[in-house]
Amino acid sequence: MIPLQWLIGICVVVGAVCALWRARRWFRGQPAKVDFVRGLMRYPRSYFVDLHHIVARDPYTARMHMMVAGGFTAALLLTLAVHLFNIDSRVLAWLLLVFLALMGVGAAFVAMRRSPKRARLSAGGFSRLPWSLFAFAAAFFLATLPKAGLVASFAALSVPGIVVLLLAAWGCAEMVAFLPLGPMKHSFAGAMHLICHPRFARLGAARPDSGLKPLDLSAPKLGVETPADFKWNQLLGFDACVQCGRCEVVCPAFAAELPLNPKKLIQDLARAVDPGGNDLAYAGSSYPGRSVGHAHGGPSQPIIGDGAMIHPDTLWSCTTCRACVQECPMMIEHVDAIIDLRRFQALEKGAVPGKAPLVLAELRATDTQSGAALASRLDWAADLSLPLISTKGECDVLLWLGEGAFDLRNQRTLRALVRLMRHAKIDFAVLGEEELDTGDLARRLGDEATFQDLAKRNAATLAKYRFRRIVTADPHVFHSLRNEYPAFGARHEVLHHTMLLDELMTNGALPKTKAQPTKTTYHDPCYLGRYNGEIRAPRAILDAIGVERVEMERSGMRSMCCGGGGGAPVTDIAGKKRIPDVRMEQARETGAAVVAVACPNCAVMLEGVVGPRPEIFDVAELLLQAVEAA
Amino acid sequence: MGQYDALLKPLTIKNVTFRNRVFSSSHSPGYAKGGHITDRYLRYHAEKAKGGIGLTQFGGATGVSIENSYHYGQVNGSEDWIIPEYQKMAAGIHKHGAKCTVQLTHGGRRERWDAENWFPAYSPSCRREPVHKAFPAEMEDHDIRRIVKDYGQAVRRAKEGHLDGVELSFQAGTLIEQFWSPAMNFRTDRYGGSVENRVRFGLEVLEEVRKVNGDYLVGIRMPGDEMLKDGLNQRDCIEIAKIYAKSGMVDFISIVAAQGADAVSSALIWPTMWVPPGGWLPLASAVKAEVDVPIIHAARIADLPTANRAVEEGHVDMVGMTRAFLADPHLLKKAMEGREDDIRQCVGAGYCVDRVISGHDTLCIQNAAMSREAAMPHVIAKTANGVKRAVVVGAGPGGLEAARVLAERGHKVTLFEREAETGGQVNIAAKAPWRVSIQGVQRWLDGQVRKLGVDIRTGVEAKADDVMALKPDVVIVATGGHPNKGWYTGSDLAVSTWDILSGKVEPADNVLLFDESGAQQGASTAEFIAKRGSKVEIATTDRTICMELGDTNAAAFLKELYQAGVLISPDLRLTNIYREGNQLVAVLANVFTQQEEERVVDQVVAECGTMPNDALYFALKPLAKNLGEVDLRSVADAGPSALEVNPNGAFQLFRVGDAWASRNIHAAIYDSLRLCKDI
Repeated sequence: MIPLQWLIGICVVVGAVCALWRARRWFRGQPAKVDFVRGLMRYPRSYFVDLHHIVARDPYTARMHMMVAGGFTAALLLTLAVHLFNIDSRVLAWLLLVFLALMGVGAAFVAMRRSPKRARLSAGGFSRLPWSLFAFAAAFFLATLPKAGLVASFAALSVPGIVVLLLAAWGCAEMVAFLPLGPMKHSFAGAMHLICHPRFARLGAARPDSGLKPLDLSAPKLGVETPADFKWNQLLGFDACVQCGRCEVVCPAFAAELPLNPKKLIQDLARAVDPGGNDLAYAGSSYPGRSVGHAHGGPSQPIIGDGAMIHPDTLWSCTTCRACVQECPMMIEHVDAIIDLRRFQALEKGAVPGKAPLVLAELRATDTQSGAALASRLDWAADLSLPLISTKGECDVLLWLGEGAFDLRNQRTLRALVRLMRHAKIDFAVLGEEELDTGDLARRLGDEATFQDLAKRNAATLAKYRFRRIVTADPHVFHSLRNEYPAFGARHEVLHHTMLLDELMTNGALPKTKAQPTKTTYHDPCYLGRYNGEIRAPRAILDAIGVERVEMERSGMRSMCCGGGGGAPVTDIAGKKRIPDVRMEQARETGAAVVAVACPNCAVMLEGVVGPRPEIFDVAELLLQAVEAA
Repeated sequence: MGQYDALLKPLTIKNVTFRNRVFSSSHSPGYAKGGHITDRYLRYHAEKAKGGIGLTQFGGATGVSIENSYHYGQVNGSEDWIIPEYQKMAAGIHKHGAKCTVQLTHGGRRERWDAENWFPAYSPSCRREPVHKAFPAEMEDHDIRRIVKDYGQAVRRAKEGHLDGVELSFQAGTLIEQFWSPAMNFRTDRYGGSVENRVRFGLEVLEEVRKVNGDYLVGIRMPGDEMLKDGLNQRDCIEIAKIYAKSGMVDFISIVAAQGADAVSSALIWPTMWVPPGGWLPLASAVKAEVDVPIIHAARIADLPTANRAVEEGHVDMVGMTRAFLADPHLLKKAMEGREDDIRQCVGAGYCVDRVISGHDTLCIQNAAMSREAAMPHVIAKTANGVKRAVVVGAGPGGLEAARVLAERGHKVTLFEREAETGGQVNIAAKAPWRVSIQGVQRWLDGQVRKLGVDIRTGVEAKADDVMALKPDVVIVATGGHPNKGWYTGSDLAVSTWDILSGKVEPADNVLLFDESGAQQGASTAEFIAKRGSKVEIATTDRTICMELGDTNAAAFLKELYQAGVLISPDLRLTNIYREGNQLVAVLANVFTQQEEERVVDQVVAECGTMPNDALYFALKPLAKNLGEVDLRSVADAGPSALEVNPNGAFQLFRVGDAWASRNIHAAIYDSLRLCKDI
């Protein structure tokens, strides 16, 4: 069996060379602080626990992957032992047969999964993959039979010997030699990505690690212009993409046929690293409304642009909902990449589309998104006489009103919340004129400078007063204050209003409620659910007031965005449909009469849906109705 | 930012913060009894507060002195027993976040001398006022001193009554304006003659008010132009406003037009659809440009966009939507909830104010729940007793209201209408000159029933079989009436007011219009004909036309008709019409002497109300559980009517509006609301 031995040996060497060659392109990126030892030590848990949690959401794929990946990994090691190093052991041969059989069955699953063809799965090299897997398994199965003593050994130049050699050549080329370049590169890059993950803290974290890191505004270049501006481990992450299309399925922009497909975005970013990079070899769904074949890039060419790798409309279609991040089995950080790219567009080029420049200008000039005078933040509450913390000096709950205080729809939510807090005799106060916009919108639009300016000034204001915790009805505010303000020195306990209200109901601080038997479905705000993991409190309130709660097909951590995040309503990239219409259709399917929301953006987006639809109420409004009906 | 940002911006005057810029101006709806604030009155204002209003000014023309009278339901603010009543009123309004003021008023010659304590009316000079008809006593020095003190005490009661402030009435031709106006003040002492002298009394009142009450919120209401021969013109009014603003004793000024001293002036100061929307806003705006105290104004501003513009463009600081809040006390709340399509807009019919002028309580022509809050719901609750099948026949105001209320209750409603459009007689009434706004009654109801998913079948004259085929649990017959041309020989030779207004019959050159209704129908039709160039005489059995209307509508009609050369012949009954050649001879008999006179005319138009279209009702009556009978006792007490006298009956049957008896829009809507609200 000399030829087979040679084949394996050559393939291993070629594979190693290819891996180094592939890894070379990652180092075109910027340095990043990576703790290899910690990454390696944690790798088994990262892979078998953290990553498996994600993969297991699709049980078929999980079983398939376990057979293929487990079978192949074990078989490869055993193959090296049995066929390269010629260790003569029946036990090893038998073990190898078992794993190869497992891999073969897995390959059949891989083939079945692709038949009939599914839009979310890429073709190209991936269409070849089941056969390559099968070729590898078959070749070494046949080659191992004699070693297991099941058949007599056959000569290399015999018919079976040639068949084995040809199959092995095919299998080893795909699975070993060119593994770092073909569809199997995900295994190699994916493993490296888990070890060197740019958000290492997300591995094993109790709640999502979703806060953005501050940008050094004194850096010579702000944000990412070219592939070389990404951190090297971000580039590694892009290479880990297995093109499974889970992100594509959950992306609200893709669903509404805005020109964004997170899978192609990551693929384009991966391909842009190569000189003369293009998307010609991409064989998955394109950006809706744009065909494949127009992307051109290179390691030091701008990524964003008309005719560049990624069109600006694609970049600005993202609602930063993190559904793609949540779904990605390779744990790629799509949204971080998008924000990095937006930062360059906003800070270096000033190329922010739609009404976003106006909103950003208002934020800079007035510290509010709508250009309202800060003193008018309490206008809606003139009859509620909200206590000011500047007068009281200290309080238990500091109520952060947010931009919703300027909007009629969300003033109703705030009014309900204030009344509930008064029912519960909470000692609360508001900042009044001292409250500035948190800067969340500016940050998602890439205007980190405006965000940091607002964050620093808000942090300074908060530092002046004594309070136990901050409560807000706006998940975007909640996320900023809780996860992104600590970097600016503001470390406070922050609660979303549903968390406070749930607590007040649990400890009996609120009066009795009357059962509200309306059929109600709860729409999770992205910045409360996926960004902060809070999917329990709002549901607990709804259950406590006795609504007939029904869930939409997508809910909780896997809920679908209303279209109101990430500045999407102001960049206003056109799609075939509107994201809130798509989401409302899902709500209609439940037959619910009410959609409960917990975010001012969701309330406005969903209420903007025309035609017959369920009514939209914030959880606080529903709770107040139940309290006042009793 | 929102459409109504300017309106929803809070306003702080002195130490009082109003949550928005919308207010209900001072008026007396006639709900006080013997000068006391009633539960009905409190609920009426609390409902506006619930509906989001910033300020509701209650107690229009609240008395301050012992000689004041309370004949149209004003509050008596001249006694300390009012303080706890004020407190109750304030609490009821404050509970919902609104502020309130009371309007303190000495009517001067605008008082009845033959009521309350039977003291004469007082005025700076003895000139009779045509509306209240008193020959007043000319005020002496002690009267002036006494009334000045009375104002100080009346404001103290408001302050102790927890009200947020007071508005002193320097308007509507009441006492202080009587001092101001050269058309009413002919004194030669230090209170008459020059402007300084004429404004003196009002300044003394304010000085006393400030002396007793310090920094309390005190505003005045005054004309922007008296629109009266020899009275104060716009320039005079602005000068006076400047004097008072400069005195530093006035916290806000509310501007009105005209002064209400006669019927035409009433039609101007409380404008109906005769005056264009926002028609007097320029008067307020002109004062605002000259003084630096907040200016507020109410008059025929019925829609939020106009109201918002008035504030946004800086014409006024607060905008009154008094009658708009009668038609829909929740109008602001609805706008804030993005439910503007649900706002029932005031049409400017003036039914409300005319009822008060005629000595009744205020009611809204469209909104039968208004001021009946204890018994009638503004928001119709869903039924808890199962969904019923309801059929409403006729889509005039009564039928539309029945369909609306039943659909709001959650019932399955089918609405038949013979004509191609809903609206019934409203569609005819709206054809008359300056009456087009009345179409709003139909527009809102139509929009609501469509939104509620009522099965509307227009162009279908429903027969009993059509109704029975739907297997109804409830049938409302709202088939209205047909025009009645009267009970005399030759009535078939006359045409109806409907024939003329609808365009079915062209007006002839020389027309006699016989009017036995005494309301808008005859007057509108006469105006319609006259303005097409015909000669018109109206003969009426009453002492003049429009006797069934209050001053604001009657004056508008009379002015238009006189200007158009229409001859008005009172106290005549049409007894016979016969043909003579190409013409008609109409025989009219004097109702007092029976003496007959004749008119030779080309056309006789007769208006004698309507006769019920009751064929369907009588066809269904034997099949009904209640045989058509209404439990009048229960309905009068706001309860349901659920008589069951026919064991074989299948449904409850009611007729409403003119299908029952010839009445008006409010009656039709109230019939439907109270009969349907408990079904």
